[in-house]
Parts: sequence; structure tokens; C-alpha cells
Amino acid sequence: MKPSTLAKKIGFYVMIIIVWQGLDSADIWPDNIFPSPVDVVEDLAYGVSDGSLFFGIGTSLLRLIVGLSIAIAGGLVLGIFMARVETVNQTIGSLVLGLQSIPSIAWVPLAILWLGLTDAGIIFVVAIGAIFAVTINTYTGVKNINPSYIEAARNMGAKEGQLITSILIPAAFPFIMSGFKQGWAFAWRGVIGAELLFSFLGLGFLLNVGRQLNDVSQVIAIMLVIMGIGILAEGLVFKKIEDKVMTRWGLR
Amino acid sequence: MGKLESRNIEKYFKHDGKPLKTLDGIDLNVEDGEFVCIVGPSGCGKSTFLRITAGLEEPSNGQIFLDGQSLTGTGPDRIMVFQEGALFPWLNVQDNVEYGLKIAGIPKEERNEISGRYLDMMQLTQFATSYIHQLSTGMKQRVAIARALVMEPDVLLMDEPFAALDPQTRDLLLVELQLIWQKTKKTIVFVTHNVTEAVMLGTRVLVFSHRPAKIKKEVKIDYKRPRVAEDENLLPYQQKILAELRPSSKVD
Repeated sequence: MKPSTLAKKIGFYVMIIIVWQGLDSADIWPDNIFPSPVDVVEDLAYGVSDGSLFFGIGTSLLRLIVGLSIAIAGGLVLGIFMARVETVNQTIGSLVLGLQSIPSIAWVPLAILWLGLTDAGIIFVVAIGAIFAVTINTYTGVKNINPSYIEAARNMGAKEGQLITSILIPAAFPFIMSGFKQGWAFAWRGVIGAELLFSFLGLGFLLNVGRQLNDVSQVIAIMLVIMGIGILAEGLVFKKIEDKVMTRWGLR
Repeated sequence: MGKLESRNIEKYFKHDGKPLKTLDGIDLNVEDGEFVCIVGPSGCGKSTFLRITAGLEEPSNGQIFLDGQSLTGTGPDRIMVFQEGALFPWLNVQDNVEYGLKIAGIPKEERNEISGRYLDMMQLTQFATSYIHQLSTGMKQRVAIARALVMEPDVLLMDEPFAALDPQTRDLLLVELQLIWQKTKKTIVFVTHNVTEAVMLGTRVLVFSHRPAKIKKEVKIDYKRPRVAEDENLLPYQQKILAELRPSSKVD
């Protein structure tokens, strides 16, 4: 990042905090409704010191990772099948488009009825919320592969199984990558939403506790943590992989 | 009986719901170690014939034989060099060249040894770790030829591999290809619309007629190698072939 860009960003956030602190000092709203930045930081520090914050983050991230892994594995298989077998596309493909329009939160009642208030229930919501984004992107990616790659590989003796791992997935990877990114975004929203409704550990649960205790500063503190993890995942994990892929493919 | 034999190959395509005859009984006998060039007006079906030989397309009628065995589907005994190279952008030069060997389950050390030999032959050694987008069009076609040669195919099929090259690079590769052919004694079938190219390369040049294609004329070229484009002694061959390609000669 250029120094001037960085300076602008820092300046912007410092300004937000100053305005926030100013509004708090003006005493327009009572402190239990509108906490100061200091209250929020204190709340974060408390969560760090008693370990509850880390436990919450760990729980949510574990659910996210398991759910997203299932979504990625399932989405890849489904997407490749849809792209390679026209009948699968005409049948399951249409269903996938329909299911994709259901917000992950809408799966929560079904998850509770089927799996109870368990980790499995939350993971189900995460996985089903993310799988169709991975599926559709994988499908598009495989459909857009230059047919001569497949012909060349066949010509050199690749069997269908080898074709999938050595050609279809790497050739479609720029698309599959956006599938992962979208999948992650859906999964992260899904895990927090599900934890709110399941009220069973995790960051979503901590949000709920904050609401029940009328602790606005805890609610804001947890929201900042959720945002922070989102920024880290986008900026570090996905951007790194994406940059590498784009450079190697010569797309950038 | 020759190395590669095509017997009465016919091909129909659907055009406006009606079958359109593209290949009208191609009978061809290629001897072991021959360099056969096929020229013809664009759209005459010469590439289709090559793709049928490679097993990438099914003939409507007729059969292809290799060493007297009837063929179906693709096989590493007939490797195709595609017009645009069809190189894999996610692999570096060396991994591209080794692709077919890897698919065949050849261990890494042996792969490296074989690819090293052909990278050297194609003067690519110093580009072994480059990615495809970093190469010029001429370099890409060198990689494509190396990738085909490592498979040590019985027959090398080349579909206008130099069509996209600038004239200087093409002249260079035309001479090099002759040297490679002399060194490896490969049987080559080379499709082109460029008569100069055909006359430089071929031991025999076949002229395809306009659709539906038949072999209209066969010109044997027994002349010392490596032949160069500016050699005046090649002109009579060129004129003979060009006369066959001229639409007015349909009258006879």
C-alpha cells in the first residue's frame, strides 16, 4: 500500500473515533445506550483477559472451517458434475439455482429440527449456505475452459479422473477461487447468524449475551471482532492466493 | 502397408439441419518416417481430417489404421500439436512438457531426464521454469512441439502450428522442424494453408479440394534439406500446387 493511501486510511479511522468520542462526551444519549470507544476497548480487554473472547473466536472459526470445507468439497464435485454431464446440469443444476436464493438463516429451523441445538446443526447451516456459491462458480469455470486444453490432455492419454485433477480444477481455478471467496462470505455470515439463533457458544452467542445483559459495548466489541476477522480473511488469505493465481496465469 | 493409413474417411456435419459432406472418402497411406503435408482451401476439412486421425473426432464412415491396427479414440501413439499450442497456463514450461509423462505414471527423475533432452533440442532449457504467458508466440510453439515429442509418438500430427507466427520466427522454426524430423525420423502429418511452408517441409504434399474434400493432387518433393523459403528450385513445386488451389481449376 502506498504511504499516502495508508495515511488517508488511518486519518479516516482516527476521525471516526474522535467523532464517536465527541458524541459520547456531548451526553446526548445515556452511556448504557451509546458507549464510548474506551468502554468498547475495555470490554475487549476484559474478554481477552478471561479468555472468553478467544474461546468465542475459536468456536466460530472452527465451525466456519469445517462448514466451509464441506461446502468446498461438495461444491467442487457438484459443479464439475454439472459442467461435464448435461443431464446433471438440466436436473440438479436448476435445483441448485433455486436453493442458492435461500438465505442461510432460513435453514436454521430445519437444522434445529433435524440436528438439534448442536455444533452439527450450525455446521449444516454454514455448509449449505456456502455450497451453492462454490458449485455455481466451479460450474462456470469448468464450462469456460478452453476446449483445446481438454483435447490436448486426452490426446496425451489423460483418463477422465486424471482430467479432473490435472486439467479441470487447475484450468478453472480463477473461477473456483471466486467461488471460495463468495463461499467464505456466505459461510461467515451463516456461522454468526446461526450462532445468534442457536445461542450455543461462539461469537454470535456472545452478541446475544450482550443483548440479554443490555451490554451495548459488548455488542459493539463483538461486532468489531467479526469485522476484523472478515478483513483479515479477505485481505490476507484470499488476496494472497488470488494474487498468486492471477500472476501465474498471466491475468494480471 | 504403410505406417498410418486412412481408408475411405467420410465426414458429415449438420448444417441448417441438413447433413453437409465435408470429407469425401480420403484414402491416404503414410509410410514410416514420411513427412506429409496437407494443403487445401480454408474450410475444406483438412483440419477435421487431422482431428479424425488423432481420434478427437469420429469419422462418419471409414477407418484409420496404425501399423495395420484399426484405431478408435485418442492415443499417445498419435500426438497433436495444436494451432494455438494449447499449453497449460498453470504449469511452467518444464511441467507442460512433462505432462503426458506424468499422466503415464513415469517417475519424476525419469521425467526430468526425458524432458531435459527435448527442452535442450528445442532450445528451451533456460526457460524451463517460465510460465506460458511470459513466452513469445514462437517460444510457445517450441514448447508445444517439445511436449509432443516427449511422448515419442509413432505419428506427429501438426495442425497449422506456425500460422500465428511472424515470418522470421516461422522461417526459423520451419528449418528447425526439418532438422528435428531428420534427427528423430518421426512420421509427420502437417496441415497448413501455406504452400511455401508445405513445399519446404513435405516429402509429399497432398492438395485437398474444396468441400467436400478429396485428395485432388499429390506432389512428391525430393529435394535436399534443410530447405529454405527463398530457394528458387522450390518455386516450380509451389506453382504446381497453387494452380491446383485456384478456384478456376475446378472447371477441368
